[in-house]
Amino acid sequence: MSGDSHAYIGFEEYTAHIPASIPSAVQQATSRFVGGRAARVAELPQFEELRQIGSDIRLHTIENLDYYLSRLETAVQAAGGRVHWAATAEDARQIVLTIAKEHNVKLAVKSKSMATEEIELNHALQAAGIEALETDLGEYIIQLAGTGPSHIIVPAVHLKKEEIAALFSEKLHINAPADPVELTRIAREILREKFLSAEMGISGANFLVAETGTLVMVTNEGNGRMCSTMPDLHVAVVGIDKVIPDWESLTVFLKLLARSATGQKLSTYTQFISGPRRSDDEFGPKEFHLVLLDNGRSEILKDPVGREVFKCIRCGACANVCPVYKNVGGFAYGWFISGPIGAIFAPQMLGTPAARELPYASTLCGACAEVCPVKIPIPTILRHLRRRVAQGDEFSPAAMPAAISAISGLASLALAQNWIYRFGTRLLPFMMSIFKRDGWIPTAPYPLSRWTKARPLPPFTAGFRQWWSDRSNSRKDTPR
Amino acid sequence: MSNPVIENIRKSLGRSGDWLVSQRPAIYPAYPSRATQDEMAAFLGEVRKLSGAAQQITLKELAEALKRLVAENGIRKATVWNTPDLQPLGLDSILDELGVELVAPNADKHEMALCDLGITSADYLLPETGTLVLRSSGEKPRAVSLLPRIHLAIVRPAMLRADMHQVFAEAKDSHYLVFITGPSRTADIELTVTLGVHGPKNLFVWMMPDTDM
Repeated sequence: MSGDSHAYIGFEEYTAHIPASIPSAVQQATSRFVGGRAARVAELPQFEELRQIGSDIRLHTIENLDYYLSRLETAVQAAGGRVHWAATAEDARQIVLTIAKEHNVKLAVKSKSMATEEIELNHALQAAGIEALETDLGEYIIQLAGTGPSHIIVPAVHLKKEEIAALFSEKLHINAPADPVELTRIAREILREKFLSAEMGISGANFLVAETGTLVMVTNEGNGRMCSTMPDLHVAVVGIDKVIPDWESLTVFLKLLARSATGQKLSTYTQFISGPRRSDDEFGPKEFHLVLLDNGRSEILKDPVGREVFKCIRCGACANVCPVYKNVGGFAYGWFISGPIGAIFAPQMLGTPAARELPYASTLCGACAEVCPVKIPIPTILRHLRRRVAQGDEFSPAAMPAAISAISGLASLALAQNWIYRFGTRLLPFMMSIFKRDGWIPTAPYPLSRWTKARPLPPFTAGFRQWWSDRSNSRKDTPR
Repeated sequence: MSNPVIENIRKSLGRSGDWLVSQRPAIYPAYPSRATQDEMAAFLGEVRKLSGAAQQITLKELAEALKRLVAENGIRKATVWNTPDLQPLGLDSILDELGVELVAPNADKHEMALCDLGITSADYLLPETGTLVLRSSGEKPRAVSLLPRIHLAIVRPAMLRADMHQVFAEAKDSHYLVFITGPSRTADIELTVTLGVHGPKNLFVWMMPDTDM
């Protein structure tokens, strides 16, 4: 569990009053991405095989994580970069603040990064008098609005162009029209000036290649290139789960990522950064710092079921197909990673006391596992986490509560002994008739009262054997 | 030397030392190479699908094509890579004759940002995705393909590789690489695709025969 304690995530309470605009906007985005993904998958015959290989490589990396992280550190240093280890979120914030102060940074431009959201870096920088500006268009918009992301790929999808125009007009003191092209142009102009004047660029990473100490960063807008090219200082904050063995492995993940995320074959820009610039003429930072963030990840590794969450390559495909996510949107999950992956990530990172509702924010339909490019068994982990919610975060299979074992013991006895079963099926209708009112059972004694509190119980009419023999008889009479 | 994070990972995984407990799974083999003509057609087709303008061109047609590009896009300032494959093309003198001001590719970033056009070559091309692969060096500054509002890449069939496996095998020791797959784009406002949010708004790719120098 991470060092910072997290406020309780009230998924149920939030979902009781979702603004009507959210499901419609989110469904528009998810259906676009689902369609795009399906088209890309259909044209790549080896996609299924790539998923399996991707899954195998990620599992292999998790099993050997210390080995690959050690190699990564050595390779980054050999390339002229500096590596910092952050055991906690607070460590990571202090490392970044110290670097920023050493370089007298006033303005930091940021490329979308989940790790910096996780450690709430922007607050820490602002508290130290350093402006931290999000530069991905969607992130820029929600930073102006002061809200969180509603979707991992299109974080501001819940806002209409009229709302964004009003936001720009208010915060930027301009007269912004409600036109996506014009709003994009305004943001380009404002942010262009910031890229050129910022003293520090902050990013995350999509992958870290252990073999050569290379940071791989994918963007469509080009803000990632700006942040890692224009300022003299580049600081990347990256979770220790992002490491992959080598460039051969990278071929697999680059083929899976954009296809699964946005339905592109590749995102517009993919950068491969090994250390700082080598010559003053080429542009790029003079200094490159890599902050490797643990923040509870190494503890999660103890749980062989739960740790498969670290296979995740953050594509968002699971959210796009999730019937729950499509109806509640990203805010409901109360954390910066939402959807099914958030429902298995947050409880492990924040502990089940804070995120105990999230493992239940699922119908267990399995659509997420079917599209996951690295085959994370999300429903299995959800069930596993439900058990941890019920029994505590200890991983040893605790004893079943006494009531459940007693009931299941009785049930297996009844099912094994024919006469008990037959007797029971005769007895039940009789017992139920005591409670029957107008063909339903409105209230029943405990433990069935837990059901009837919400809705009436249909009365038990006949056993399966009776039903089957009635059905067989009527079939015989009916000519086909 | 070890550190607390690595130590904690080892403890959680029940590992005692710095060695692999399993072999890295085999990866999917690279796509086989095809005839150059097929790879070229696939590459140019993909660039067009991404709203880039892609065409084949000869050295003789170059001056005329540049003239049209400059006129149609109102280009007043340009910056060009200093690479051995671009230098013999005489781009500087053609642009100069067209009245375009040339900015050195290693000029100050504020100056570079005022350029309308950046001209680069490429190191590799990927047909499957219509991707330009660019290395970085003193003669290949990164800003030329990033800051100007229009990016023109003059490329050669010899740069085509069947798959990214070959590119990585040749270039993984490079300290910086960028894959450029179409012009800068976003769909962050109401999912409306808009080009040129931070990087170039327009991408032109001109494929010139290997022998035209």
